[in-house]
Amino acid sequence: MTSATAASAGFDGRKLSTQAALARLSRNFTLASLIVLLVFLSLYPLGMLFYGSVHSTPPGEPGAFNLEGYRDMATWENASILANTVGIAFLNTSTSMITAIFMAWIVARTDTPGSRKFEVLLTLPFFIPPILTAMAWGMLGNEKQGALNLFFQWMTGTTYAPLNVYSYGGVIWHMSQYSITFLFLLTVDAFRAMDPSLEEAAQMSGASRWKVFFKTTLMLMMPVLSSAFVLSFIRGIEAFESALFFGTPAGIKVITTTIFDSITQRATPQYQYATSLAFSVMALMFFLIIIQWHITRGKSYQTVTGKGYQPRVVKLGKWKWATFAFLALFFFVTTILPVAQLLIGSMFKFMGFYKLNMLTLEHYDNVWKHGELWRSIYNTLVLGLVGATATMALGTVVAYVTVRTRWRGRKLVEGLAWLPWMMPGVVMGVGLLWAFAFLPRSIPLYGTIWALMVAYLALGLPLSTRIMSGSYAQLSYDLEECSRVHGASFLQTLLRILVALSWPAFAVGWVLTFFGILRELSASILLYSVGSEVLSVELYKLWTNGQPEEVSVVGLMLVLLVIVFRWVQIRFLNRRISAI
Amino acid sequence: MAFNVTRMLAAGALALGLGVVGLSTAASAQDADWNKVIEEAKKEGKVSLYTSTLGAPFHLDIIKAFKAKYGITIELLDVRASELDERVRTEQASQRYNADVVQHGSSSLRLYQRDGKLQPRGNTPNMKNLRDALKSQADADRTPSYILPYGILVNTDLVKPADEPKSWLDLLDPKWKGKIISDDFRAVGGGFTWFTATDEYMGVPDFHQKLSQQGIVFSRDVGNDERRVARGEYPLRIPQLASNYLRMKGLPVKLIFPKEGISYVRFDLGIVKNAPHPNAAKLMIDFYLSEEAQLIYANAGMAPVINLDPKKVNEDARAMSEAKLLGTTNPDTQEAQLAKAKELYK
Repeated sequence: MTSATAASAGFDGRKLSTQAALARLSRNFTLASLIVLLVFLSLYPLGMLFYGSVHSTPPGEPGAFNLEGYRDMATWENASILANTVGIAFLNTSTSMITAIFMAWIVARTDTPGSRKFEVLLTLPFFIPPILTAMAWGMLGNEKQGALNLFFQWMTGTTYAPLNVYSYGGVIWHMSQYSITFLFLLTVDAFRAMDPSLEEAAQMSGASRWKVFFKTTLMLMMPVLSSAFVLSFIRGIEAFESALFFGTPAGIKVITTTIFDSITQRATPQYQYATSLAFSVMALMFFLIIIQWHITRGKSYQTVTGKGYQPRVVKLGKWKWATFAFLALFFFVTTILPVAQLLIGSMFKFMGFYKLNMLTLEHYDNVWKHGELWRSIYNTLVLGLVGATATMALGTVVAYVTVRTRWRGRKLVEGLAWLPWMMPGVVMGVGLLWAFAFLPRSIPLYGTIWALMVAYLALGLPLSTRIMSGSYAQLSYDLEECSRVHGASFLQTLLRILVALSWPAFAVGWVLTFFGILRELSASILLYSVGSEVLSVELYKLWTNGQPEEVSVVGLMLVLLVIVFRWVQIRFLNRRISAI
Repeated sequence: MAFNVTRMLAAGALALGLGVVGLSTAASAQDADWNKVIEEAKKEGKVSLYTSTLGAPFHLDIIKAFKAKYGITIELLDVRASELDERVRTEQASQRYNADVVQHGSSSLRLYQRDGKLQPRGNTPNMKNLRDALKSQADADRTPSYILPYGILVNTDLVKPADEPKSWLDLLDPKWKGKIISDDFRAVGGGFTWFTATDEYMGVPDFHQKLSQQGIVFSRDVGNDERRVARGEYPLRIPQLASNYLRMKGLPVKLIFPKEGISYVRFDLGIVKNAPHPNAAKLMIDFYLSEEAQLIYANAGMAPVINLDPKKVNEDARAMSEAKLLGTTNPDTQEAQLAKAKELYK
């Protein structure tokens, strides 16, 4: 070796080590900024709540540290309410999961007629405000005057009323409308992103069709399925409206109604009690997440590789009409029945009183002329569009760091992003209020529309991260490596491989986050200010003032908006983006 | 000493004259003070009102009327009661003084007063309009603004006029067993207010003992419950908000005020400590006691807090503005009453 080449090798070596140091520095910087951001979004408001749970007064008031909140909430009554809540959530999530998986399989992997159209239609119930579906189901399934009971009695000539929505069954039924569609949305694309060679290998080894489905297809989807299950189960524990509307008349109590009561229905709000109860439930939920981490740890679930990416479609023969009938029935019961109630009801002076002389368009006119409502719709659309995009972008980065890198500290990032999901909305809203109000004066967040934006980012992050993580877990590393070997830059790789291939998940996450923002009430009502009114608060106002017809008109507008969004996504964007 | 009538008269006249001059100087000084308030209020340009009567359309009508009269904007933030409390508390604790005036149930506002969250309103010209019974209740910080009356909602298809309850005691009739839907007594709200009023002020100590045997169905979905009665799911609902009833015209329902009187919530106004627009706040409170503002409330089904000529109120709302009042919640007994309601209605 000449001295010249040795010198150049030394130079290259120095260059490499400088590059490595730079890469390490930028990695550390990225990780540190991500952690700081997540701490602000999730740990800071939760920290304020934790302070509230161990202090005799809420932040800003003189008081003393004590554990009275925890002592007061540790009662047998609360234990039985918790058991009740877990029972309802478990029953709801497991039945919803079975239904959702079955539907996702039909839509994504079989030749059932019209399955692409059903993909949009089946998800509609998720996007209708719960107060409206609760009213619609109250009208359809109440024991005394419910339309379905009256129909049954007319058919059978008896006076027996088989349905009563004001019961455990009713609570779970109303919850399941949301969980089935939520789980369907989360799992359907995972069914599509399936490497057929793995299933073929199983079949070649002598496994039956069902065995392939259970042992290969479902097992490969474990990250998506388990995280969807956990997301939905936790959401079930935090479910509020169904229990409040259908449970209260039947004497059914759940944890969130108990928390809500201790804040809103006492002479002085019992924040210490409410936050202590919420943190205790949160600790229990964290166990679930640890279990989920254990189930999926150390295994590979990569199904989207460089080899082939066209999932096998199962030919059902004449059975395809049975699956078609199942989808049609589900669509009819969960969407047509309630939406028809809203549509017909909105055209009469009073919902449920269908006389010709009461036919009117005044509710549409009222909505049209309601200036405050339109201002709130404008604000909400801006918040929704910017908020959902920002949330998904942040969720993508967090998911990338936690799933696709081996960085130290990635578990911390994942944990931080999970936290807000485990705090019931009614408590998290208070945490965000405290967090923003007690910021230093130099950060003018409180009382502005940005407070809402940041709150939505914090509330939406867990879902966006889970959706993107599930999708990334399916992508093989060879795709990324291949792209880099062929000279693509990091950005090109990110765009062409990680964005293009996980686009379906991103799009679903975006729609869920967008409508999550449109619907969010607990934090919005505590953080909105004059000029930054939002739709959920305006709808709630109309509702409490006895104008359900006007709320229905807006609900129908939302349904239309979903159809347009999903149609544009499935028909246009999916093709464009997978072609990048 | 000679008794000089003329001199006496002259002295009397002088004294009287001086008195009148003194009085009129005081009055004109007061006018001048008030004119200064108006002038300052106009300079402030706006006033921020936090209210716990969420989304009531009559708010907007009064805001428009105030704007038309003084050119001052009322910025309205309406939230639910517990959220109002926590927002005001948090803003005060973090020294972000955004609110000028709070409109809230009088019992809740008394707690604000106790905690030092309010500042005195001072005297305003329209204070003299207050109903006599309320004059003693308006203190330095709290000003009554309207009264929310509650009655019984009856489905007229299911209940014949002869069977309509005329007294609260009629609800104990076995024929209503399992037929009454009610706002939950066991949580702060309309149902609990009614529970307190009938328990504390009716003079029938075992009324609720007996009523708890009637299988009352509790619900929290106010917006839907009144419609459930209209649709015939239940013949009776207690307690029914009079203002919502006015929007049910055309449905087979009727609002009844039993003879003992009704439960109500009085909504008071209070100026929040360190209010950024104190003069506009004062002017706004004064305007809320004007006939113009009180008529808007009365026509929306509220009972006015000033002496208002009933003939000026729309016919369908007149009964509400004249309703006999039985009682409301009491901050001193609230926790004990909540516990009692929970115990009785398990």
